[in-house]
Amino acid sequence: MDRRTFVQIGCIGSASLLVQGLDPMIRAEMAPVAVPPIELHGLPNYKRSPLGMPGLFPGRVIEVRNPSAIARNRVSQPIVRQMLEHAMKELTQEKFAQAAWAKFIKPDDIVGIKINPSGAPACCSSPEILREIITSVQTVGVPARNILVYDRYSYEMDIGSYQALLPPGVRIVGIQDAFVDASGYDPNIYCAANFFGEWETRSYMASIVGEVVTKIINVPTMKDHSAAGVTGALKNLAYGTFNNVARTHRAPYSFTNPLIGLMCTVEPLRSKSVLHIMDGMRQVWHGGPLTQVQEFIDQIGTLLVATDPVALDTIELEAIEKKRRERGAPSLWQHHPNSITADNNAFFHDAAKNLFFRQPGHIAAAGELGLGIADLKQIDHRILSA
Amino acid sequence: MTTETAKPKAQGDWPTLLKDNSRTGGQGQHQAHSPERNVWQFRAGSAVRSAPVLDDGILYVASVNGALHAIDVVTGRSKWKFQAAGPVHSTPSLSENRILFGCDDGKVYAIDKQAGSKLWETPTGAEVWASPVVRGGVVFFGSADAHVYAIEATTGLTRWAQELGGRIYSTIYAAEQHLYLGCGDGKVYCLEAASGKILWSTLTGNGIDSSPAQAGDLLLIGSEDFWFYAINSTTGEVRWKYETGLGIASSPAVSGDLAVIGSKDGYLYALETQTGRLRWKTVVGEVVTAPPVIGDGVVCVQAGGTFALDNTTGRVVWRAALAGAVQSVPVLAGDTIYLASLSGEVYALR
Repeated sequence: MDRRTFVQIGCIGSASLLVQGLDPMIRAEMAPVAVPPIELHGLPNYKRSPLGMPGLFPGRVIEVRNPSAIARNRVSQPIVRQMLEHAMKELTQEKFAQAAWAKFIKPDDIVGIKINPSGAPACCSSPEILREIITSVQTVGVPARNILVYDRYSYEMDIGSYQALLPPGVRIVGIQDAFVDASGYDPNIYCAANFFGEWETRSYMASIVGEVVTKIINVPTMKDHSAAGVTGALKNLAYGTFNNVARTHRAPYSFTNPLIGLMCTVEPLRSKSVLHIMDGMRQVWHGGPLTQVQEFIDQIGTLLVATDPVALDTIELEAIEKKRRERGAPSLWQHHPNSITADNNAFFHDAAKNLFFRQPGHIAAAGELGLGIADLKQIDHRILSA
Repeated sequence: MTTETAKPKAQGDWPTLLKDNSRTGGQGQHQAHSPERNVWQFRAGSAVRSAPVLDDGILYVASVNGALHAIDVVTGRSKWKFQAAGPVHSTPSLSENRILFGCDDGKVYAIDKQAGSKLWETPTGAEVWASPVVRGGVVFFGSADAHVYAIEATTGLTRWAQELGGRIYSTIYAAEQHLYLGCGDGKVYCLEAASGKILWSTLTGNGIDSSPAQAGDLLLIGSEDFWFYAINSTTGEVRWKYETGLGIASSPAVSGDLAVIGSKDGYLYALETQTGRLRWKTVVGEVVTAPPVIGDGVVCVQAGGTFALDNTTGRVVWRAALAGAVQSVPVLAGDTIYLASLSGEVYALR
């Protein structure tokens, strides 16, 4: 983690927060020099689960490749089924898929499947993969009514048509309908920081995570991210669970590092997140997370499975960096002022341009917080064909 | 070629999404000029993710906070508001003195359109996003509980329920004796209206949330498998299909020999109903999921903003940066256009 980061666990006076929030526009003009103090308010006295991040298999990442899994943007249900089964057995070293799933899920669990619909329809968690996850969870004995597929924005889920495409009985939940709707969030679980003089300095945890689900299966996509560098398991969990997170980046600066990792440490999010299944059917190597420009979206047919989100995202970062090198695009680590544009259209169509100084270091920072292993040499990355 | 315009034979019939094949909500086809001013603006209190409907000077708008608003179109003020017990994503339908809509609490509500009071409600096992349709005194709709329901319009009593293979978000097309709809299991179904018996089903390559239109003997519907299908409504045989660039959640609008459908690839496609030949396609946004509406000489659609296209060429005639709801539909009513937005604003533009 950045040495300047000062994580303050505890409460500072609400009056001081109010004063800091009075004049956001003046401070918005100023370049931030340091990460501000960040308060984390998790569920008090929550007993940490050994299944929680980094989970049962720290440092292990199973990657299954099958280019036939996607053709002309259509994902093959039977091939994905094989890939997921293969990956789960390899991850757990179990002979049968049901036994592999039973390591994480019990029949009385209420299972939340955290998807990533932002970027739909061009790149979002594939319904075909979600169907296989749902079926697998049901084989352990969890009834459909105790499976929730969720994300923050219901309108993004609508664009992905998840409501129509997933099996009957499964609950499809959008935590908020509009950008300012906070009713689906727990007022007692939050992260607080004042990054740019913003008025609202708190980001609250979704109530569905705090109070409803007992296990979370995280289904991120494989994408670059204009502020965070990449959006993988960590970003999908953190910024898809807490609200009011776009405030951490104001062009060209971004505090996605360290906030993404810090949010993932907050209980009960950390303990409930037991499995990460990255949908790498499509790989967005520029323009993420929202691009619809097919030129930057490769259909690679990959699935990655891990309990360690840091190791998983490290592999993702390497893959996207490699792709960018092959295509002549600058590294995600590049922080050159000439690369910054305020023109969205220029950003979406030019891989050399970006809106922010990206922060892929958020992955290693999360590793230092104990969420997993970021050192490539220590990661047990197994590549399989299906 | 003659196109069945889904004009109701009995008073009170509302046989398809927005009442007719051109998706005008019973307004008939009006010219849609480029709007120049905002006549009034109404705040619904939360996002609107369904289409408003207009009847007798009142605009009915359902919002996701569960409120059904009746708005006087002259003043832009609320006449009454009915509060349902859950979010509403269902486009309302009208039948005689009733407004019907589905709710996330699993119920379909019938509301007295004058008083705004509840006439009846009927339960299902999951949310109802489809629009209830009415034919011959019976209300038909599908639910996410995978059932199609037939309900007495006057009493709310159930006549029959038929289970299908997936969640249902497609609004039924109610023909004289048959019901047609898409289903999350990827099939297009034809049911007997009197009994709910499945007469045929045709499998597509992915789930369906598009709502069908009927053109002559053809049923027109999109699928999440990227294809737009024309199916023989008697046999279920696929007559032709047309491939778009991504999934189709939009529902077709039909007028004369032209069917217009949106795709998630951002294009509107205009196809000849009998052959599937592409007449034009025009990109209108990053994604199109709403149904288009066909006016007199124009096709209008909400896709980020609101677009009007010349229906013979597909050229964009005008666009308005209003009403970001990609599930809603403009109401074309003479010299006024009514739009509902994701931010919960309802606009009357002239």
